[in-house]
Amino acid sequence: MSIASFQDFARRFAESRSAVISLTVSLVFVFCAIFAPLLAPTDPYDLTHLQLSDALKPTGSKRMLPGEEVRVNIRVNNGAITVLPASPTKTRLSLAASSCGPNCLTVSVEPTAARLGSLQVRNLPNGATIEGAKKHPIQPWWTIDNPESSEVRITSATSLPASFTLLAIAKSLDQETDFVFRLGTDNFGRDMLSAILYGIRISVVVGLVAAGAAMVLGTALGLFAAWQRGVTDAIIMRAVDFMLGLPALLIGLAILAILGNGVSKVVLAIVIVQWSYYARTARSFAMSELGKEYVEAARCLRLSPVRIMLRHVLPNCMPQIIVLFTLNIAAAISMESSLSFLGVGLPLTRPSLGMLIASGYEFIFSQKYWISIYPGVVLLVMIVAMNLLGDRLRDLNNPRLDR
Amino acid sequence: MNEMIFEAKDLSRSFAVGSSPLQDFTDHFLRNRQPAVLRAVDNVSMTLNEGETLGVVGESGCGKSTLARMIAGILPASSGERRFRGEDYDSFLRRKRDALKVQMVFQDPMSSLNPRLRVGEIVGEAAVLHGLVPRSRVKDYVVDILARVGLPADSVGRYPHQFSGGQRQRVGIARALAVKPDMLICDEAVAALDVSVQAQIINLLLDIRRDSGLAMIFISHDLGVIRHLCDRVAVMYLGRVVELAKTSELFASPTHPYTRMLLDGMPKISAQRRRFMPIQGEIPSPLNPPSGCHFHPRCPMVTDHCHRVRPELREIEPGHVHACLNVEPHSKRL
Ligand SMILES: Nc1ncnc2c1ncn2[C@@H]1O[C@H](COP(=O)(O)OP(=O)(O)OP(=O)(O)O)[C@@H](O)[C@H]1O
Ligand code: SF4
Ligand SMILES: [Mg+2]
Repeated sequence: MSIASFQDFARRFAESRSAVISLTVSLVFVFCAIFAPLLAPTDPYDLTHLQLSDALKPTGSKRMLPGEEVRVNIRVNNGAITVLPASPTKTRLSLAASSCGPNCLTVSVEPTAARLGSLQVRNLPNGATIEGAKKHPIQPWWTIDNPESSEVRITSATSLPASFTLLAIAKSLDQETDFVFRLGTDNFGRDMLSAILYGIRISVVVGLVAAGAAMVLGTALGLFAAWQRGVTDAIIMRAVDFMLGLPALLIGLAILAILGNGVSKVVLAIVIVQWSYYARTARSFAMSELGKEYVEAARCLRLSPVRIMLRHVLPNCMPQIIVLFTLNIAAAISMESSLSFLGVGLPLTRPSLGMLIASGYEFIFSQKYWISIYPGVVLLVMIVAMNLLGDRLRDLNNPRLDR
Repeated sequence: MNEMIFEAKDLSRSFAVGSSPLQDFTDHFLRNRQPAVLRAVDNVSMTLNEGETLGVVGESGCGKSTLARMIAGILPASSGERRFRGEDYDSFLRRKRDALKVQMVFQDPMSSLNPRLRVGEIVGEAAVLHGLVPRSRVKDYVVDILARVGLPADSVGRYPHQFSGGQRQRVGIARALAVKPDMLICDEAVAALDVSVQAQIINLLLDIRRDSGLAMIFISHDLGVIRHLCDRVAVMYLGRVVELAKTSELFASPTHPYTRMLLDGMPKISAQRRRFMPIQGEIPSPLNPPSGCHFHPRCPMVTDHCHRVRPELREIEPGHVHACLNVEPHSKRL
């Protein structure tokens, strides 16, 4: 296509406002797909950072840090104080102890800003007390619930023994962080915004790769049929009729039931469904091109069949194939989503839009609408945009609508 | 000069119409029915000498283009023999580079050029692929050829739709010339053009023939053009050659009733005798041609004989053959 005719094409394309909008929307989706890892606030594939406390949170809620419990042994031996952790895991909270004069010991929690649910010190020596703490009716356990300050002071009217060991237990409350789930979370506590962005990435990749592979395969077969005619043509076209006669989703389900799930298998299933559209279109347009005199001229110039088909016929069929490609991207995306929705598409660890819709489906009646609705809206917009784009391209290609 | 460059013997081509392979199969085995067959070219024999121009005339649908395509080697024959400089055509066509010696110029200036290719590639592609010119020198080569057909050098970078009908036809001629043919088939090469442009293209073809000594087969339904261009003329009717003679002889003394009718229908400027006889009747369907002599439903000289017997080509004078049962040698005027 020359530059002038491309400009003409662009001008005619732009005459339709919906076409321009859908092109823009499609490009935004492609942008999202490419830059999903940069745009997404979290990595939804990273299962280690998921916490169930975040599950099913509505739009705009903040991520919670779950409360912790820290235990330390505090050993006092002739005035020397040592703190030994009693809980094996690493925690954000830590406990320290220091002397605050004769017969006085301070146990403090780091960081001081942490909101504590309780602070307990066990095994206090006889006579020692903690201000503001409740003693266990039987055990020598002293507890402050919801302490105001982050330290407790152990004092004794009598002198403390030379050596003794305390057990201090601090429990912190669940804590809000600055991280906001802008579109809420799903039932695994996954950030929906990130999951949707990565879902768009999967949808766009699957759509492009599957529709592209189907285009190459189907077009090649269609051109071959058109060139060979006769029996080859009849066989290929009967196969096309057969494929077109079966419901696409059913073929997809059958293939994935046999192969198992995964991105490459979904792509394969879509290619097996879609090649027939391209084969039919490529064949019919190639047939009409083959009847034109420039093809006879090419044969008279003794060019090879491959060259005639690829260099002469194919470029003249390309506009129609591109239209089909655009429409089939949308079809591939919706098929991948449908298969994932039905649970045979992609694995649970890599949620696509269809699977997000499916996983939210069971919560939609308990007012947890966001898990299904947001991916659904995104999917809808994406498919409508691709379809409008394809329709516009088809209109531009239709000579009857040409003025 | 009188060496034979091309010869066709009993060349025929039929088309199965309105059927698919599957239908053929079921028709053949299940319904025991033969598919409908259209004999577009029926036992045509002709020769072409080096440097000679042979005209082919006939009404629309009489098989001229089918014959041309068989001669050009882009349509297989159903039966019959073709020879190029004495060599069997199939083995000749297998040597791709030699097969370039036979080229064709097409009728439709719109569809005969690939709309997606620039003129430079349309003209230069085959020459490069077959190694006639190195790729590095193809541009100069194409510009040279375009100059020969009267197109400016900057045409190289342009697309077919940027040219007029006459210019496109020049591109088509340049494309054929670019592979250095010895024989050129022009299938109604000027039919789609304006009269003034027709004259230019015909003059161009005359120039080319004079400069390169090409043998040409010139197909047309315009008798004036044929008379102007051709050394000999073959007249076709429903797939068969009915008369073949030197141009001057054919126009001066046509013998076959069909040729006479054609010539009478031709507008004459110096028409003294007004022997006006419109060709009566429709052209019969080539699918179901009349028995015996195909021309009998329209022939003024028809006899019973003509319904039954197929007239063979007979020489009525040296170099002048026709296929009529009732016109005998030396009884040309009646
Ligand atoms: N590929 C084909 N399949 C079936 N029938 C064909 C095919 N090509 C030509 N024919 C038929 O063969 C007959 C001769 O066609 P052809 O094109 O050779 O005629 P023509 O003399 O060139 O006519 P015109 O002057 O209109 O170009 C016509 O009846 C046509 O319908
Ligand atoms: S053979 Fe008979 S029908 Fe045919 S052209 Fe001669 S006279 Fe006429
Ligand atoms: Mg024709």
